[in-house]
Amino acid sequence: MSKAIELEGLRKVFRVRERTHGFVGALRGLVAPRMREVVAVDGVSFAIAAGERVAFVGPNGAGKSTTLKVLAGILRPSAGQVRVAGLEPGRDRGRLGYRIGAVFGQRSQLWPHLPAADTFDLLAKIYELAPVDYRARREELVRAFEIQEICEKPVRQLSLGERMRCELVASLLHRPEILFLDEPTIGLDVVAKATIRDLVRERGRRDGCTVLLTSHDTGDMERVCERVLVIHRGRLLLDRPVDALRRSFIPRKRISVVSEEAELALDLPGVRRLPSAPHRTELEVDLRAVGVDRVVAQIVQRARVLDLSVEDPPMEEIVTAIYAGASADEGSP
Amino acid sequence: MTAARVSRVSGKYLAFALAAARRTLAEPTLLVGRCAFLGVILFVFSRIWHVIGASAALPGVGERELIWYLAVTEWAVLATPPLFLSIEAEVRSGDVACRVVRPVSYVGAHISEAVGEAALRLALLGPSAALFAFALSGGFPADPRGLWLALPLVLVAAFVAILCMAAIGLSAFWIVDTSPFFWIWQKLVFVLGGLLFPLELYPDWLQRIAHLTPFPLMCWAPGRMALGLAPREALASAASGAVWVALLCGLLVVLSRRARARLTVNGG
Repeated sequence: MSKAIELEGLRKVFRVRERTHGFVGALRGLVAPRMREVVAVDGVSFAIAAGERVAFVGPNGAGKSTTLKVLAGILRPSAGQVRVAGLEPGRDRGRLGYRIGAVFGQRSQLWPHLPAADTFDLLAKIYELAPVDYRARREELVRAFEIQEICEKPVRQLSLGERMRCELVASLLHRPEILFLDEPTIGLDVVAKATIRDLVRERGRRDGCTVLLTSHDTGDMERVCERVLVIHRGRLLLDRPVDALRRSFIPRKRISVVSEEAELALDLPGVRRLPSAPHRTELEVDLRAVGVDRVVAQIVQRARVLDLSVEDPPMEEIVTAIYAGASADEGSP
Repeated sequence: MTAARVSRVSGKYLAFALAAARRTLAEPTLLVGRCAFLGVILFVFSRIWHVIGASAALPGVGERELIWYLAVTEWAVLATPPLFLSIEAEVRSGDVACRVVRPVSYVGAHISEAVGEAALRLALLGPSAALFAFALSGGFPADPRGLWLALPLVLVAAFVAILCMAAIGLSAFWIVDTSPFFWIWQKLVFVLGGLLFPLELYPDWLQRIAHLTPFPLMCWAPGRMALGLAPREALASAASGAVWVALLCGLLVVLSRRARARLTVNGG
């Protein structure tokens, strides 16, 4: 299978000015600024085949967004070889632009004062789409993402979830071969997250485009991708199928219950009660011993539930587990 | 480059200009506010000209002509959108990342947006400026034919100002806060550009210095046409405009290449 993305020894170093305290320090900084180097990405290598959906996960500041920006041609690498769709992003940015799509969860490519439909029209011109093709593609995506009504409203009036659906349509209009998604579910509620994940997975399958998704939310990688790359402090920690990672390093879930009863007691194996408050019970569930469905069933049986949430452990905990070699199959492919 | 390719590429930039014009129309209160501000400025200066009796300063130029001069220069200045602020905001917030992945020139797109917005502002502020000047001065200038020549020259003025603002905006890639450069540039436009007074009122040596810079193109060149018909000066200003546009475009190419190499994206 041909390679969509190839990366060999990527290194990205930022030179930043050191801030010094006090008035004298500020004056000294003006005359003779002291610079220091921050290594954001340190020798990362991997390859992604065309059509693969890969999650690039890690805690905040791990270097995942920087890597993605190098791949998209936004930043230039300090060292290493990078090829995306057979092109060198730093050198062929113009040509690469036609072949990739990008969504940055914390930023918007839509014009806030205009309806998203106006941005779609503008993008059709930017990507030089033939009017007939553009109209058909827009129609298809607007229907698939269910934005018929919202795409005529000014973008600033949309909720974050609605805006993100429009952002995805905007990035897919020109049928990109490779789609870069940088934290596409950040700040979204549970329902909006699930919708975005389903849409990305489905669209990736239909269009056959390669998806590289960065996130610090393990749910994104589980629902969307088949392979995961874990990065920490600029270095690649792990590269394996999502299922293998889940079995090895995400054996637990956290359940948080708000109930009318002050106390909630369960008698299931693999369920540990974490420090809780009256009417609020925090539980840790070992998935190797018991399924989430059984735990939730017993909770509902024993208490009048006001609120309930099921979460993965935070990314930091997974990275710590990887470091500690907590898995039995550590090192297996 | 084939004709079809030229048409597709120019279509991209035209689309940016049209989208910016639509965005400007979506905020009508800002346009009304700008018109009101223009009226206030013209009212204040018409009173000042009246009190100090500026008519004695330039032979053949009366208070009425000076009010029309100011109307034209303010029209040009207020029609130019603060493009540097958009570039600075994108660099500050990191939104520049969304813009540079597109197969279109980052600066070219910004300039096109500014041109689209300026075209709409010129179309709306022009009649307002003429109405205010007419009402405050009590009629047209002694030789109103020059006002027709002010029309193309105000387009040159706005375009040169947009290019200068794009260069100021690109400085954000180095210093982030572009306001120091803007303040200097704005004061030079006011003084060497002749925003409030025609350059003819300046000492000879200062006039010569002013004409070596692009600043008179942004105010004096179109404003001068309100003082009387001067086709030779209009042609000289158009030629000077072409030279400065070429020089500024060259500067923008160099700056944008260096800015791209320096790009770091704030906010991860």
